Amino acid sequence: MLAIITTNLLRRSTRTVFTASGIAVGVATIVALLAFTQGLKETAAGFVHLGGSELGIFQANVSEPTASVLPESIVGRLQARPEVARATPLLLLVEGLKADSSAIVFGADPAGFFTHNLVLTGGRRPAGGARELLIGDRLAAQLHLLPGATLAVEEHRYRVAGVYHSGVLFEDSGAVLELAQAQQLASRPAEVTDIVVQLAPGVRASRAAGGIEHALPGTQVISDPQQALRVGANGILISKAILVIVVIALIVGAISVTNTMAMSIMERQGELGVLSTVGWSPARVASLILGEGVAVSVLGAAAGLLFGVIGGSLLVRALGVSAYVSPSVTAWGLGRGLLVGVAIGVLGGIYPAWRVTRMTPLKALSAT
Amino acid sequence: MSAPAGAHATREPAGAQVAIEAVSKGFGRVSALREVSLQIGPGEAVAITGRSGSGKSTLLALIGGLEQPDSGRVLIDGRAVWKDPHPARARRELVGFVFQRHLLLAALSARANVEVPLIGAGMHHGARRTRALSLLEAVGIADRAEHLPSELSGGESQRVAVARALANEPRLLLADEPTGALDSTTSERVMDLLFELRRDLGMTLVVVSYDPSVGARADRTVTLVDGRIEAPDGALFQRR
Repeated sequence: MLAIITTNLLRRSTRTVFTASGIAVGVATIVALLAFTQGLKETAAGFVHLGGSELGIFQANVSEPTASVLPESIVGRLQARPEVARATPLLLLVEGLKADSSAIVFGADPAGFFTHNLVLTGGRRPAGGARELLIGDRLAAQLHLLPGATLAVEEHRYRVAGVYHSGVLFEDSGAVLELAQAQQLASRPAEVTDIVVQLAPGVRASRAAGGIEHALPGTQVISDPQQALRVGANGILISKAILVIVVIALIVGAISVTNTMAMSIMERQGELGVLSTVGWSPARVASLILGEGVAVSVLGAAAGLLFGVIGGSLLVRALGVSAYVSPSVTAWGLGRGLLVGVAIGVLGGIYPAWRVTRMTPLKALSAT
Repeated sequence: MSAPAGAHATREPAGAQVAIEAVSKGFGRVSALREVSLQIGPGEAVAITGRSGSGKSTLLALIGGLEQPDSGRVLIDGRAVWKDPHPARARRELVGFVFQRHLLLAALSARANVEVPLIGAGMHHGARRTRALSLLEAVGIADRAEHLPSELSGGESQRVAVARALANEPRLLLADEPTGALDSTTSERVMDLLFELRRDLGMTLVVVSYDPSVGARADRTVTLVDGRIEAPDGALFQRR
């Protein structure tokens, strides 16, 4: 049976290749999207734990975390709480760097733990009040900048005082500016995007989060990456969009396979009639058709997995969004892509296979 | 001509008995067969002749269970193939078909084509291969076993088709104008092969043909006229 399936697919190699290619595109899309989703989760993890924090306090019900606006004054109220060891405000300037629009500029309190935890790999910390900033090592490598160079932020030029490494993608791909200067650039005096918190020893993040949200109405405390993805409407939209695209890929792929297999059956009606005449049961003939559909789909899915992994990385580089999201391929992501590919083959092969079982041998033979 | 190994070791008698009882079949408004009744004894060779459109091929298809009669019934050794819970299995166990065109699967070698019915029977790969080669040897083209149908002559292809028909050791061999697409010399050889196999294996053979010489080889000739069997004196058999 396998030999016949292989032979039939090879005999119509052009059609096999085109059908498999269609499925490959669908599977590649799914794999790339799943890799992006996983990458988003990992990015969100970095976003939650900025500066080595355990919690991030954001404005509640915002479209995405970077759109959050909080009064700087609540930092003091947070620090007064017993479960909080330290709290420091951050103002995020998105698309503030002209040289790399995907990089984020962090306005941070020079005395806060966020700035303090940055490990300098070159240069020095900015002098207080000077038009100086720190840049992450990834950004420095990307823009070929060294301490002493200048960098434009929102039309203003700053001197690079030093280069740091934090281990968090967002931070290492961005720059850190004194909070007051960032507020001035954004024309948002006394406002911040979020406040990052380190908890007192022995305090559980989930318990602390409830207490803080209760004490500070209108805030949302994020302590894990999944929560970070859920809190923003954009994250929800991305998840829903991915689901829709997966379903569309499944439907389009199944229709493609159905169409191909149905055409194949019409062309090979006589051949199938011969199989029936020589004693193949309808179930066996149907399984031949179904097997061909699944084989094409597995071929397409395998190619799709490869294209998805390679294409996802290339797309991120081409769009220049590597600071926000880096596709992360997991075995489960690849497995889901393969499952969708096989499902396409099974769904696409069912109708043609059923049609075969409805034909009498004589009717099938009359097509020869 | 010698029978392939194991071809009829377990069969007694080798030929099937065919009973056609008042069978009618129409296609749309065209009546192909009208209350045809015919008995064929075990091991008998019957030639069915008649003009084009007389219902010969339809009768053969109904005997082989390829189509359902509108009325009446066809029994092979007492089994109604079409009404069998597993008609494909019944066909496989009882009937072998040879058609006017060889109808070989173009992508498969001669050997693989002969193996196709054996796949349907669930036979193991090694046993299939052995039996297919044995059958190709029996029909005289063992040396062409790995050739594709496109690499075979018409006569060779038809021999492969005969070997395929014999793969499941049928008790009844149905041949529908098996030499219709061949030249006279090749036709003669293929017909020789069919009748030799029938003699060696003891099968019942029903051959549809225009060729009067086929009737001369057969035990009996049945002539169809407008879907009815013509009596030897020219009268038409009617349903009793």
